[in-house]
Amino acid sequence: MSFVVEAEGLVKDFGGVRALDGLSFQVKRGEVYGLIGPNGAGKTTALRIIATLLQPTAGSVKVLGRDVVDEAAEVRRRISYLPEEAGAYKNLSGYEYLEFMAKFIAEDEEGVRAAVDAAAEISGLGERLRDKLKTYSKGMKRRVLVARVLMTKPQLGVLDEPTGGLDVLHSMHVRGILQRYVAEHGVTVLLSSHNMLEVEYLCDRVALINRGTIVAEGSPRELMEDMQASNLEEVFARVVGCG
Amino acid sequence: MVKGLLFIVVKEVKELVRDPKILLGMIIVPLIMFPLMGFAVQTSMETAEVSIGRISMAVIDLDNGPFAEGLMNFLKALNITLVEVDDLNFTEAVNYAQQADLTGLLVIPSGFSANLTGGVKADLDIYTVFRGKGIGEATSSSAVTTLLKTFEGSLVSQTIGEKIPEEDPTIVLDPIHMAERSIFQGKSVDVPADALFGLMMSQSVGMPVGMMMLLIFAMQMAATSIASEKEEKTLETLLTLPLNRFTILIGKMTGSIIVAVVGAVSYLIGFGYYMGAFTGSIPVESGVDLAAIGLAPTPVSYFLLGTSLFVSMLSALALAISVSVFAEDVRGAQALVGPLSTLLIFPMIFMMFTDLNALPFPLRIVLYAIPFTHPMLTSKLTFTGDYLTAIIGIVYVSIFTLTVLYIASRLFGTEKILTAKLTLQKLRIGKNK
Repeated sequence: MSFVVEAEGLVKDFGGVRALDGLSFQVKRGEVYGLIGPNGAGKTTALRIIATLLQPTAGSVKVLGRDVVDEAAEVRRRISYLPEEAGAYKNLSGYEYLEFMAKFIAEDEEGVRAAVDAAAEISGLGERLRDKLKTYSKGMKRRVLVARVLMTKPQLGVLDEPTGGLDVLHSMHVRGILQRYVAEHGVTVLLSSHNMLEVEYLCDRVALINRGTIVAEGSPRELMEDMQASNLEEVFARVVGCG
Repeated sequence: MVKGLLFIVVKEVKELVRDPKILLGMIIVPLIMFPLMGFAVQTSMETAEVSIGRISMAVIDLDNGPFAEGLMNFLKALNITLVEVDDLNFTEAVNYAQQADLTGLLVIPSGFSANLTGGVKADLDIYTVFRGKGIGEATSSSAVTTLLKTFEGSLVSQTIGEKIPEEDPTIVLDPIHMAERSIFQGKSVDVPADALFGLMMSQSVGMPVGMMMLLIFAMQMAATSIASEKEEKTLETLLTLPLNRFTILIGKMTGSIIVAVVGAVSYLIGFGYYMGAFTGSIPVESGVDLAAIGLAPTPVSYFLLGTSLFVSMLSALALAISVSVFAEDVRGAQALVGPLSTLLIFPMIFMMFTDLNALPFPLRIVLYAIPFTHPMLTSKLTFTGDYLTAIIGIVYVSIFTLTVLYIASRLFGTEKILTAKLTLQKLRIGKNK
């Protein structure tokens, strides 16, 4: 089976602090894979390494068979990354921002237009996309950013807390577009989240991380069965030692 | 790469120019503030000029002789309003001058005409009412004195004409004609040395100030450009785009240069209007043809100056970017870049007021080591035709620029751009322990 992401023995040290400690996992093509864990578990660090922003101290990651360190440029061509608390250029309009981003991915003007149209549909913000991003609420901005990740149909979408800090309605919208887009276009998604409901709803498989290493992995249903828990929150609490 | 670079540059310019802080502070305010200041100065000066035309004096004529009459007719002919108050005593005349809002009081003592006729020094008392109304008042006062001096001059000419009829009074008073010329680069130039010095000063002041403004603007732009990416949390997304990191760096630098040039041009236009308020009313006497005396820059010197300025700007931007990588937000970046402006102000001051070769050797070395000294130096050298020194300076600044650019690209190309702040925090924690 070909994997979209293959992480093997990932270690990342920041000075004397070990953020990742031998993290290994694989993400299959077309699946939504979730990394969950307490604050400081290493989720964001793992996603940043996969997104070519950080380099591992030891271990390796391959995205679609390409090493994130040695072939970073090739990896960047195939992924689209949404950082936690990502912002957007506040003095650009929604359309200008999407167009700016699409230009780096799309091959021609037609491709840029198609991507921006797709993003406009995904975000569902209509005419508000003509306004400057600084006038947007946090939820609206996040919808534009998620639309930016998906508009070019990347082979891998890497989303760090896609609904972090959003209200119920905006969270539901983002979850809805993620689920629909993945189903329609076969995009592989690797995400991190603190929202167990969201993970249960969106993810085909989940890895529970604690102190930089995976402590449990499987589909939400498998994990709940294994832990004899009624939901993922109980699984989480038991695995990280709080339950 | 070129397409990607263009996208980044366009985005940078849009972001920077639409930032109200930059648009107002660096582009619009200089275009409005300086002309407004100039307008205020010009209006004040015009008002002062008008007030000279409205000089009015109370006069106590205790002489009633022909020279007193001649003096008053002379002043009246120059549109000075004279109010004769012979029937008032001095105190009453002073009160009158004050209440009637006159410029002052002229007292022609008894015996004024007799003294002048008899070859004895004659007294004339002038009182100016001091109201603290500013420059106009002082100008009116000095105008009265100047007019009286002119009257005195005509009296002297008249006396010479009467006593030595065979002599021309103007030659007696001013017997030597001095033709002031300068020797410049071994050639005699038909321009007084002080006029030449004035021209050189305007070059050596204007150029360094202009360059300093441009470079400071550029550094601030570059620092803002990087720090705002961090502050607005857009940097991570930008760095994961399929785009060479060096292209991002160059794109940011180019965008910063464009906005800095716009900012510096508006600053210089505004400043030009402001300075015009001072110099506009001063007649230009010299009419010196710089090209004719070999002081005008040649195409070669323009090229050298442009090259020197360009490489210096690149080094300033690379420095600003390297430093701002360590900042968390725009304010932090500007605080870090602020001290770098010392590297611009320091040589500028020396360039404005002295010749580098006249400075002590260690200070000269320090100044030559600062890359921003060289474009300012080049602006002087190109006038004197010392191209070799200018070229050596360009080579030095280019090497410096490449070194800093390499450091900036290393910082930009690795995770340092994201983790540099973490390292600093760690160091701070380490120190606190």
